[in-house]
Amino acid sequence: MDFQTAARYASLLSKDYAEDIFRLLVNYQAISASEVATRLNLHIKTAQDFLEALEQLDILSKEEILEKKRPYYRYILKQTRLLIDIDLMQVKREPSQNSLTSFIREKENAGARFSVARSDDYITSVTIWTGNGRERQERKIKLTTLQGRFLYHLPFPKAEPLTVDVIMEKAGIDESLAPEIMDMVQLLEKYNVIEALPEVPK
Amino acid sequence: MSLVRKLKPDRSITGVIIPFSIVPIFGLATLFFGLPVGLITLGVWMWVYSLFYLFVFIRTRNIAQLVICIEGIFFGFMFLVFEPNFGTNSVESQEFKVAYISGVIFFGLILISLVLTRRLKWRGREIFELAGESVDEAGNGYTSRPRPVGKVEYSPQQMHAFSRFCGRHLIALTYVTSKNITLVPIKMGEEFGRLLGLSGDYRDATWVNFDVNGEVSVHIAQKDYLDYREPLAFDQLCTSLGQVFIDFIELYNKGEGVRVIDRMDDLKLSFFS
Repeated sequence: MDFQTAARYASLLSKDYAEDIFRLLVNYQAISASEVATRLNLHIKTAQDFLEALEQLDILSKEEILEKKRPYYRYILKQTRLLIDIDLMQVKREPSQNSLTSFIREKENAGARFSVARSDDYITSVTIWTGNGRERQERKIKLTTLQGRFLYHLPFPKAEPLTVDVIMEKAGIDESLAPEIMDMVQLLEKYNVIEALPEVPK
Repeated sequence: MSLVRKLKPDRSITGVIIPFSIVPIFGLATLFFGLPVGLITLGVWMWVYSLFYLFVFIRTRNIAQLVICIEGIFFGFMFLVFEPNFGTNSVESQEFKVAYISGVIFFGLILISLVLTRRLKWRGREIFELAGESVDEAGNGYTSRPRPVGKVEYSPQQMHAFSRFCGRHLIALTYVTSKNITLVPIKMGEEFGRLLGLSGDYRDATWVNFDVNGEVSVHIAQKDYLDYREPLAFDQLCTSLGQVFIDFIELYNKGEGVRVIDRMDDLKLSFFS
């Protein structure tokens, strides 16, 4: 299951009346939105939206009933067991070999402020400014110790740039921890604190 | 040898203002409360001044600071003795005059000697000049990040001894923690703010750090970087500053600490800058 589907499940299940509606669905062969609404003292629109959402998630099926020229739907429970199963590894961003071998260094005049740990061997946070004029805001990014160690060894602006894997080696960071590092590198690249160079400038 | 200065000329008068503030304080106290109160103020102020130098001596073990402290105590005492006897025969007595004049001559000569031999001089400017000496490339690239510049193979005891040497010769103010020895070079006139804690956290200043494993890292404050005439290549400047201290520790551990002082004296910077 992807995150978006799981989020829709979770959103529906978190409603105060969710359990009551499911109780009706389990115990009734088929039920309409107006029957649910009157039974649970809900607004018809609330019941309708909830049942429609369940139907879209394929938990319910619906059948159209034509009665006195005014059609409506009756909902039937299709699944008696709901499983939210998310493989978290699907959001893991494995860095490509390309990204590990790209040359990076701190960007000149980045305007970022770096806070150094008491032990003076890693950066604890980076403060950057985003927006312009009155919209300008300070944003502080706290770093993990690994990220801080990496940033500590990042080449200075105008210094010879180094590849990500070389900096990681200098900082004593194992290659298996590259996703954590790359996440920070990409974020700081986005905020123009780090610049990536396609090749070593001569 | 031609001496090409990398730093801008020192036009700061902070270092002079603080000791000489005694003059307007004395003048104002005398103007508003009369000469006796002025003399008491002068005496008390001298003692406060002495207390500061005693603190500097305890912090750095620089003997010259202790001499200044004793000098302040002596003159403070003379002013306080002078005040109740002002206008009486005891002040005009030969003994008082002899004690006062001999004190002025003795401490005056010592003070001149200490100034001329640069034993009272904070060596920050020398350190920055030495660091800038080997950097010819201009390129800016300032960042507030510290830079790892190398490693020294010395025991923590040797590094502690070196830090005490730096303090004793006013090369840098030392901050020691269980894992680090941080050396903060201080320029003349900046010592009051730094020692009295008015200049903020020392980690925002320029420093060279030795950790227990011998790793050396350098941080240069923007204020100090802007003190160079040209925007020197920052990366090289950090490396050079670290190298200055690595050279110093090597000389010191070879028993050639005096060469460190010679290198700084050779720059022939003004006694008060």
